[in-house]
Formats: sequence, C-alpha cells, structure tokens
Amino acid sequence: MIKRISGWVDDRLSAASFTRHALNKVFPDHWSFMLGEVAMYSFVVILVTGIFLTFFFDPSVAHTTYEGSYEPLRGVEMSEAYRSTVELSFDVRAGLVMRQAHHWGAIVFIASLVVHMLRVFFTGAFRRPREINWIVGVTLFILAFFNGFTGYSLPDDLLSGTGLRIAYSIALSVPVIGSWLAFLVFGGEFPAHEIIPRLFVTHVMIVPGLIIGLLTVHLAIIWRQKHTDFPGPGRRETNVVGSRLWPTYAFNSIGLFFAVFAVLIAMGGLLQVNPVWLYGPFHPDQVPSPAQPDWWLGWTEGALRIIPSWEIRAFGYEIPNPFFAGALLPGITFGFLYLWPFLEARVTRDREPHHILDRARDRPVRTALGMTTLTFYVVLQVAASNDLMANKLAVSVATITRVFQVLIIVLPPLVGYLTYRLMKGFQVSRAERFSAVPLDAVLHPKRYDNGAPEEETSEEPEASTTAS
Amino acid sequence: MKAKEGMMRPGHEGPARDTPILVALGVAIVAAVAVTVVYALGGQPQLEGALLGLALGGVAVALIVFARRMLPGGHFVQVREDLPGTADERASVASAFSTGAEPMERRSLIVKMFGLAVGALGLAALFPVRSLGTRPGSSLRHTDWKPGTRVVTKNGQPVRVEELDVNTILTVFPEDHPDSADSQTILLRLPPGVRVPGPGDWTVEGVVAFSKICTHAGCPVSLYQAETQELFCPCHQSTFSVPKGAKPTFGPAARPLPQLPIGVDGQGFVVAKGDFTEPVGPGFWSRPSD
Amino acid sequence: MRRSLAPLLLMLATVAGCTYFREEAEPYRPPVYYGPSEAAGSVDPGQHLYMRDCAYCHGNDGKGTSQGPDLTVETNGGALTDFVLRTGRMPVAAPPQQMEPGPPVYNDREIADIVAYVTSQFRAPGPAVPNVDLSKGELAVGQQVYQEHCAACHSTTGIGGAMLIHPDEDEPRKTRGIVIPDFGRSGPLAVAEAVRTGPGSMPVFGTRAISDHELESLLVYMGYLKDPADEGGAPIGRIGPVVEGAVGWLVGLGLLLLVIRWIGTKAGEVE
Repeated sequence: MIKRISGWVDDRLSAASFTRHALNKVFPDHWSFMLGEVAMYSFVVILVTGIFLTFFFDPSVAHTTYEGSYEPLRGVEMSEAYRSTVELSFDVRAGLVMRQAHHWGAIVFIASLVVHMLRVFFTGAFRRPREINWIVGVTLFILAFFNGFTGYSLPDDLLSGTGLRIAYSIALSVPVIGSWLAFLVFGGEFPAHEIIPRLFVTHVMIVPGLIIGLLTVHLAIIWRQKHTDFPGPGRRETNVVGSRLWPTYAFNSIGLFFAVFAVLIAMGGLLQVNPVWLYGPFHPDQVPSPAQPDWWLGWTEGALRIIPSWEIRAFGYEIPNPFFAGALLPGITFGFLYLWPFLEARVTRDREPHHILDRARDRPVRTALGMTTLTFYVVLQVAASNDLMANKLAVSVATITRVFQVLIIVLPPLVGYLTYRLMKGFQVSRAERFSAVPLDAVLHPKRYDNGAPEEETSEEPEASTTAS
Repeated sequence: MKAKEGMMRPGHEGPARDTPILVALGVAIVAAVAVTVVYALGGQPQLEGALLGLALGGVAVALIVFARRMLPGGHFVQVREDLPGTADERASVASAFSTGAEPMERRSLIVKMFGLAVGALGLAALFPVRSLGTRPGSSLRHTDWKPGTRVVTKNGQPVRVEELDVNTILTVFPEDHPDSADSQTILLRLPPGVRVPGPGDWTVEGVVAFSKICTHAGCPVSLYQAETQELFCPCHQSTFSVPKGAKPTFGPAARPLPQLPIGVDGQGFVVAKGDFTEPVGPGFWSRPSD
Repeated sequence: MRRSLAPLLLMLATVAGCTYFREEAEPYRPPVYYGPSEAAGSVDPGQHLYMRDCAYCHGNDGKGTSQGPDLTVETNGGALTDFVLRTGRMPVAAPPQQMEPGPPVYNDREIADIVAYVTSQFRAPGPAVPNVDLSKGELAVGQQVYQEHCAACHSTTGIGGAMLIHPDEDEPRKTRGIVIPDFGRSGPLAVAEAVRTGPGSMPVFGTRAISDHELESLLVYMGYLKDPADEGGAPIGRIGPVVEGAVGWLVGLGLLLLVIRWIGTKAGEVE
C-alpha cells in the first residue's frame, strides 16, 4: 500500500530518491540534542491552544460590564479584552485549560530555549559552519521573548498593564527618538487605546509567522549540515552516528511531542497560572503588588531594581534611568549573543569547520566566560524578587537591594574563576564525573602527577581518550 | 558501514515485551473517553487537564517504549559530505552571475537611477509608520490640571479639606477630566508638627498634593508609609519622602515627584492652583528641567 | 587544667544560648506593677488589667512614656485599642520595631473591659469599635475598593508585602524593613478597625476615602480572598509570576528533561 501511495506521489513530484534519502537520514541520539525539540513542540502546543483562544478573546479596550459567572467581578466595568479573558476562563468549557496550557507552554518554551542555547554555547556548536544557524536561533529567542510579553499583556489586567506602562517608559527613555518611539508603538500618550489591538495582531500573526518561517530555516540548515555530535566511539568529523529518521528517530520524536503536550496540558488543568480575575482590570492609577513580569523578563526587572538612580543630564537633554536596564542592557546582551561565534573565531584564530562538539572541560576559557555571564543574569533574575525576599525574611528591602548590588559585581567573576579552575582540574585528572575530580587537580593542576599537565589548545580533544 | 536492518535490542524477548505498551495505550483510551464525558457533563478544568495529560502521556509512553524495545538502535553511520563546493563550482557560479549581469555593466547611469528609485520608494514606504501614532508634541509636558479645577476622587466627588484625616491619602483627578491618566494625583494630610513641603501657598493646613506617577518608570506610587510619611513605589522600590518634597530617598528614581499647588475655593473644596510646574512621570530626552 | 576549661566554657555558653533563645511560653508580665492591689476590694476589671499590663509603657494616664506612645491622641480610641489587643500586637515586653500580629493574650471579655476603661478614661479622639454588618456588603464593590486602596500594599491576593522606613532623618542610608501583613488571622472586625485607625505604618481610611457601605463590601471581599475560587488548579502560593516561573522550570522543564534523558543516550553511549 505504501508502495502505491509513494508511487502516486513520485509520479507527480519525482520525490522517490529524496524520500529514501530522508527516511535513512541519521541523527545522533544524545539526550541534550532534544532540547531544541522540546522547545519546538512546546511551540506547537502554544500554537494549537492559541488558535482556540483567538476564537474567544476580544482584543478591544472598549468599556463593558462583566455579567458572567465569576461573582466578585459581576457588575464591574472593564475592557472587552479583560472581560473576554475572564469569560473564557469561567464560562467557556475547556477554556481555562487551554488558556493555562498556553501560558505554561510559553513558560516552558522559553525555558527550554535557554537550556538549548546554553547547550549549543557550551559545546561550541555555533562554530563554522553553523554561524548562520546560531544567528537564526538567537533571533528565534528574541521573538519568543517578545511574543511571551505581548501575550500576557493582552488580557489588560492590572499586573500586565503595569508591565506595559514600564515598557512605555523604557521606550520613552531612548535618546533622541524615545518619545516618538513610544507614541508610535502605543498610538499616543499612555494609556493609549490602540495598544491592545496592536499587541494582538503582533502576537497572533506577525511574530508567530516569523517564528514559523525562521524555525523552518533553522531545521533546514540542520538537515543540510547534519547535526553535530559529541566525541565518542566511531565518531569522526567526517561521519554522523545515530538513529535513522525512520523508524526510530520519528517514533522517538513523535513520542516526545506527545510527552510535551501531556505535561503542558496537565499543568494547564492542575496548576493555576496568571489568575487575572484576582488581579482585576487595569486602571492607570492603580498598581498591584508584588509586581514582577513573567520569568523571562526577570533579568531586566532585576536590573531596573538594583541599578542606582543614575540619570545623565547635559546641554538640556537627558538619558533617564530606565534606559540603562531596559534598553541598553538587552541591546548589549543580544548584540553579544549575535556576535559571539565571530568573536570567538577571531580570538581563537580557529576558522576550521567543526562537526564534533567540545566537552565543556575542553574549553575552560569559553566555559568560564559562559558561566560568568550566566551568573550575571541569574543574579539579576533573583534580584527581581527583592520585595518578596524582604517580606519573607523580614529584612529591609533596601538591605536586600544593596546585597544584590554587591553580588552582581562580585559573584560573576568569582564563579568564572572557580569554573575555570574546575575545568582545568577535569582536564589534568581526566576524571569523568564532577565528584571524581581530585581537589588536588583543581588546586595545583601543574603539579598533578596523573598524566602530563595539559596545555590549553584550540584543537579538538582526542575522541578516544575521553570516551567512557 | 550500515548495521543490519530491524535489529532488535537485546533483553526484551517474549510477550512481556508488549505489556507496558498495551497498558499505556489502554490508559490513554480510557482517559480520552473519560475527558469527553467530563466535557459533556459541563467540564471541569482539573479533570480535563489530568485526563488529557494521561491520554497524551499514555500515547507518549507507548511510542517511546516501542521505539526503545523494538526499533533499531543508534548505531547507524552516515558520511558527512564536504560542505563547501569545489573551486570549479564556485567559479561557475561567479561566471554565471557575471554573464547575466553583462548588459548592466555598461549602463551605469540606468543602474544608479534604479538604485535611487528603489531607495526613494523605500523611504516613502516608511512614512505610513508615522500614521501609527500621534506627535508627542507637548503632551508629555502638561497634564489636564488648570487653575481653579476642583479635585475629585474616582467616583467624581470633590473633596473638602475637613474630610481628610491625618495620614489619609486619596487619589484625585481634575473634575473636568476625571479619566486623565497623567493627571493622577496623591492628596494627603500630613500629621501636625511634620514639615510641610513646598511653597506656603501650595498647601492647605498640612494637606499636600503630589503627582502619583513615579518618576522612574511610571507606575502609580501607591504605597504610603504613615510613620515617616514616605511614599513607596512597588515596581522597583523607589521611596519618596513627602516632608522633603517627595524627594527620592531610596531606589532607582532620580527625581522627586512634582508637587501640585492646591488651595481651597469659595465653597471649601480643594482645588488645583495650576498645572504641575514640571513634566510628570519618567524622564525623556527633551524633558525641560526646572 | 587549662585545656579542659574551654569545653566547659563552651558548654556553659551553649546552655546559656539555648536558654536565651527558648520560646517564651509564659504569658506577658511587666517588670513592675503600678496599680491598685488586687486585694483592695472591687476594682474595675479593665482598669486592673490596664494598670497591670499597659501602664508601665503607656503611663498611668495613658499619655505615654519613653517606652510607649501617647494613647490619648490621633486615632487612638476604642477601635485601635480593640485592634491591637484582638490581633495580639499588644501587649509586648519591650517597644517593638514594628507591631507584629500573634495569638491574643486576652479573651474577648478582658479585651472589652480594657477597651471600656481606655475609652472612658482617656477620651482619645479616634473612632469607637465599629459595627460591622457583613450582610449588606457587596462582593463586586468590595473587589473594586480592595483593588483601589489595598492591593498595592497587601497584594492583589492578600499575601502581604514589604516596604521600608527611614527611621532616622539624620542617617539617610539607614533603613528598616516594614513587613506588610497578610490577612491570615485577621477577622472582619480587626480589618475594619485597622482601616479606620491606620495602625503603625498604615494610612488612615476615613469615611471620605472608604464609606461605611464600601467598608462592609470590602470585608466581604476579603473574606472571599481567604478562600478564593482557584478555578485553575493548585494556586501555588498566589504570589504571581515569580513562583509560576520557578514551577514552570522545576515541574514543566524538569519533567521534560527526565523524558529526554529517558529517550536519548548519555555521553559516549551507543545503543
């Protein structure tokens, strides 16, 4: 039967040889290569649940009165956007599960993107010939970020509306063009009425379209270049070892899709997320507390909280405080991300193609720099909950903020240095597990007598000696 | 260098091999039917989520266990062909391009004009972006407060000075623009003995008015700490001391909250004596300083 | 001999330390008793309690001492007295940094006696114990009042919050944290009293800010907040995006990491 169908298709598309080539294509099996798939399948779940939501959500700020089944809001005036969200949550069957699965999906989507990006970074998979795919990937990351923010701002509730106000102020703070930028994006002075419908179109059509397009490019490049792999038995720069697309890889991948869907929909029903009915509708003169954005913006929020009250004023113009944390920091962050493969290639003078991955220990400098940077963002992330910590620990929020101001300077280089020493310890002791690295190897790598002291080179590690 | 097709993984022989797969699929079927029943009976989010999770999870487990037990493993090898093309291929690309471009080579004026036309059109195409919003103009520098405007609370009622107890704080708006977001103002009565900020004719019997919009990132400064009369913004913890003129005493805000001059009209209601004397809220490039 | 002294001293220090940090189990007793003796015949029970437990800090005449504030001014009166006693904020052994709620020391009868004594004796200008009738309150009105006046400090879901105080004008960098309480143990009467008298750091909400009907509605809504409709499932603390992000990473990504570890190979493995 398969023969008949494939014959029919081949007759028209001449696809037989491509199909055979595709079915036999080999993909390496390491578990960490599936992080990107987890992200992709989370995105699919987001799309599916999102389509359901678009049938019920009303992206309008027109005033209305709630008359649905959630008693504490009955008779309260609100926007159509907020009303339709509450109605979807309480009066549409399966509405709340879909909405919460959509939100959990976004949380897990961006989390898996971060872990996937870290994997690619620490294993050097961005090196030639994969620089283009790294750039596509960073762009996908930015788009996901952005769509997450626009998504949770759609219901026009008190918490997300406050976030929009802060975004507006950040736009305002951009030098020279700030006020124009803010007024153009929002459609006027805050709270302009055009913003919710615009967010809707961006969130539902423009950005998902871009993500789907770039994701296709991302996968096509992987297909063309073949996936990288860790050093191991039988692995060479000139081959790829793993499972065939059909049947093993396909079954595994589709199974993973069902697993992702299962986890997200179960969370969507069992764990409450973003209970907008408790926050209430947005009013520009009211604010909720605690007021944090969704987790992926935690680093910018933390920066906004711990950066001292610097404002630059000169010749009648000013650069206000939110610019540094809200615009400059993300600009530098994403700028560095984009440039990294080229920076590293220049510094290491390594422009050879690489299909075998590094293990983190083989590149102590890159690993240490990566850990320094990661620590920096993690400290900012935790700093965003300074008021929660103040409440729980009964300590002044000023004290906590000052602690983080110190940590942000001290902790990243400290972690970087310790990482570097640990990686060197791995190298000279040739241990496989973290717990097997002798302390002596970390403290005195040159004097360590089990094997000659390693010099750090920019070549690949020997595959056979590091296999388990 | 390909291994044998259909090679089963060792250790899973006999009918016990299939049981987990069948159980998982059975659970999935039962759960899927159950969720349709739950839905038909009116729906319940926790049951819907749990049952759908079980149904999808059952299929997931079945697929993965099937793959692990019965499908050939990951020992297949494929050769990576050299990605970069040969020098010949690259040369032929270059020559194909330059042959096609030959007619354009001797007509540089045409090429340049094409370039200018596309550039001009591109610039023109940017202009609809301007339709997205209004000109900032001077809207950031003014609010809707005017001399003599009564202050009203959210419900539209004006405020008498006597109605404010010590340490009472109200959010007020201009009477003629009660929805004006940038005009939101804090009205509060300081305790006796506490220094009253601002010029004497800007306050009434210890009642003062300040813009509610935080000068950091624009959140409403809604928390009031009555013991030392400090206003606190929950977004990034900027703290403003009212007796010191709402000067920031902690946090990322760099400028005090602008003070609204208030007085009392003939009927005893609190009125504004004019607009704020500086722009409210967060800073911007061309913000005039006082 | 010298070497064996150190462990002995350490042991003594440990015992002393444990004694110091031992949970205070006995009821409050001030160091000195200023009032009429119990054996002196019939004494107003409220006066007896006030003199026994409060006068040391607040003075025999309620005008305050270095240990405690003047009870005859500002919003003091029946409502505030009832509030601090009912929520266990008073009495305390020493002036606190910030009044903390706890189990009340007195029963209802004793509280009523002290309130009666204080109001009749000191005639403070603050409001009397309010009469709350929850049957007239409207839930939706309460939601709007809560969101407008309370949510910014006490959080939209009632879990409380934090702000800070600069206690010393001459030391601008010195701050003290203020814990904004949650409503866990506060009944409607205590909340009504707090709203009208603004204890501690709280502002005062008179009838102009929150009318009596709005106050009753607010109390109905706060009763709802103690057990809100968690339609979406486990509320995971009702704290907001911070906890949701943590749960998303730990539960969502955590489970999926386990799944891909199961599906895929580990380092150097070949299947």
